[in-house]
Amino acid sequence: MSRPRWIFAMVAALSVGSACSDNPTSGSARAGTLTLRLTTPHADDGAMTFEVSGAPIDSATAVNASLRLFTRRVGGSTMLGAVVGNLANGAVVTLHVPDVGAAAGYTATVLEVADREDALRPSLAGYALTAAP
Amino acid sequence: MTNPQSFFGFGSALVLLALVGAAPAPAQRSTARSWRDEVRRLRDAAVVLPARRPRPARVATTLATTIAESEPNNTVPTADSVGLGDRATGVVNPAGDVDTWFVDLTAGQFLSVDVDAAQVGSPLDATLELIAPDGTTSLAFNDDFDGFDSRISYRVPQSGRYYVVIRAFGAAGGPGLTYAINFDKVTCPVVGTEQEPNDNPGTAAPVGIGDSGSGEICPHDDNPAGDVDYWAFTARAGTTLELDVDAAALGLLVDPVIALYASDGTTQLAFNDDQDGADSRLQYSIITTGTYYATVADAAGSGNPFPYIFHFRSITPGPGDPITVRAQALGRPLGLAVGNTGDLFVGDLTGNRVVRVSGQGEVTTFATGIPTPQGLAFDAFGNLLVASTDGAVYRVTPQGQATRFITDAGIPLWIAVAPDGRIWLTDLSDRSLRRYGSTGQFEARFDATTVGGSGPGPVAIGPSGEPYFSQGTEIWKLANGELRRVLTSAFVIWAFAFDVAGNMYAPAPAAGRIQLFDATGAIVADTFAIGPDAPQAVAFGRDATGATVARLFATDTRVGRVFEVNPAGVAHPGQPVGYVAPPFPLDVAAANLLGGGGLSAADLQYLDALGNHNGRYDVGDLQAYLRTVGGLPGARSNR
Repeated sequence: MSRPRWIFAMVAALSVGSACSDNPTSGSARAGTLTLRLTTPHADDGAMTFEVSGAPIDSATAVNASLRLFTRRVGGSTMLGAVVGNLANGAVVTLHVPDVGAAAGYTATVLEVADREDALRPSLAGYALTAAP
Repeated sequence: MTNPQSFFGFGSALVLLALVGAAPAPAQRSTARSWRDEVRRLRDAAVVLPARRPRPARVATTLATTIAESEPNNTVPTADSVGLGDRATGVVNPAGDVDTWFVDLTAGQFLSVDVDAAQVGSPLDATLELIAPDGTTSLAFNDDFDGFDSRISYRVPQSGRYYVVIRAFGAAGGPGLTYAINFDKVTCPVVGTEQEPNDNPGTAAPVGIGDSGSGEICPHDDNPAGDVDYWAFTARAGTTLELDVDAAALGLLVDPVIALYASDGTTQLAFNDDQDGADSRLQYSIITTGTYYATVADAAGSGNPFPYIFHFRSITPGPGDPITVRAQALGRPLGLAVGNTGDLFVGDLTGNRVVRVSGQGEVTTFATGIPTPQGLAFDAFGNLLVASTDGAVYRVTPQGQATRFITDAGIPLWIAVAPDGRIWLTDLSDRSLRRYGSTGQFEARFDATTVGGSGPGPVAIGPSGEPYFSQGTEIWKLANGELRRVLTSAFVIWAFAFDVAGNMYAPAPAAGRIQLFDATGAIVADTFAIGPDAPQAVAFGRDATGATVARLFATDTRVGRVFEVNPAGVAHPGQPVGYVAPPFPLDVAAANLLGGGGLSAADLQYLDALGNHNGRYDVGDLQAYLRTVGGLPGARSNR
């Protein structure tokens, strides 16, 4: 094997190994981040409470400085959160998890939403929250 | 000025003389007119003496001839003839009868047409009308002057035949409705202690503090706009003066106004109209020793002359005297609120604006476009709420942007914010007290028609967070849904304030003073401060941290200034103003929302009241709390 081919084979082998570590069945978890993404039918959401469960969560942060996040753990794999600010479709919270490969195991639920005038949404129809890398 | 005996008769002259020599007149109980009318009066009153129509007056002295009417004389063509100096007599009979007289006059003459009827026992309530030589143009009209008797004084612009028409009020009539009309020229002989001409500072009549001057407002002088009598006196620094004119008190339907001028004779220091009914009175604290000038004039400009007595008194100052002017030339400042850094915010009735007065006395316009701003208060979020005569409460951001905020109250007059952030306002349209959530949601209406007076007016929050309001001469409070009278004053009380001891500082503009009551409503100092001209709203100052301090400020609406009472006389700091953040941190509020507990039921109720008022604590309420305490990213505290 020529020298360039040897280097390519080493890089490829390392890449395959790295990919295998994200596989939950592989037995080697990789810590990382997941993003909670909001789907909303409204353009004037101001605050939301939510619940994330299904797998351990190390911590959570708001995706940007315009949002204020409060969290509370309930048990080992459930977290309640309140995020306040001008919410819109898209990323709202970053979850720091011990195993990003377990993303599919997380369930995120919108509990309450208030508009920017503090009024509580009477219905949560059309709202969704997903956790994904 | 004329001889009182010729004008009132001997009995009235005795009364006049007695009053001239009398001790200071007893305080007269002020009449509570409607709050709306009062605001309108404050807004529309001129700072300077009002211009008046140059209409003359009076006066029949020696009557040459008595001429009886000759019916029919109901029209100009059938009018009866009379001459100046004559006395015409007749009867308004039957109902609807009109008697017409004519008199030939020369341009420039001052005609006096004076009815004697009710004053001599006739049941006639006469009305008089003066008609031009064309027989149709009405030049002047009068119903009541000497009681029910009428009088017209008029300067004739051109030579010709003028007509005088007498009727009974309400088109009444009957054989007993007799009258006499005195036709004469107005004359203004010098009597009393004034010395005409005294229509400017240079010719002012001298008077001493503690004395009373007497004179007459008579248009027949050198002042083409009507008579203005100037008086000059010397006053020492530290003296608080009371200038008090009696004219209506002498039994005439007249409206004198008074003003005080500085030593330059032109700078108006104080002005008053109608402090004692139609008569006027003002108080003023002299800061610089010197000569000052006081004037008497006719507010109504009726043209009819009237006598007056002008009292110049030195009065005992209260613990809040002397006052210090913090800002002036503010138009018509009425409502007053203190910001969280100590700046004063003042509503200017005439400028449709709110101005900010800094601690250094610098005045800047804070917000514009608010029609006739009345009551002012800061809300839980640091916005300034302003009740306007256009029927709305405006919300003004810290940047000065005003928007209509509460629009479902009929006629909001005054506004206050409770420690829980709730907004209270008084509604003149139905004499009610209304409560709103901190974000403007209507919550409850409390009928207050039973309190009488002018109904609920200026409102303030008491030490326990309950709303107190003035209904005129009484302060009431709403406690547990029930209205309770707290105190009664001899004067109409405007926008009052509490100190931390529960004492109430009540401005009584009609008396030109601030009174001090304790928490039970007992008087502590009838004269807490006598220096103001007519204080309308008081508020305690705050330091740079927002803490209320023992400094009391007030608006002096009619003279366009804001002043501070002597802080040495203010025993306690003011009651904390408006919204007070509860003692729990944001994290606790958030944790509780997420099931962590840590807050009491009262805390949760507070948070709900701060937010969306849906009966439970939720994420909308948390958002409101963050906004209130400056917890939103990029936000500064509104406290």
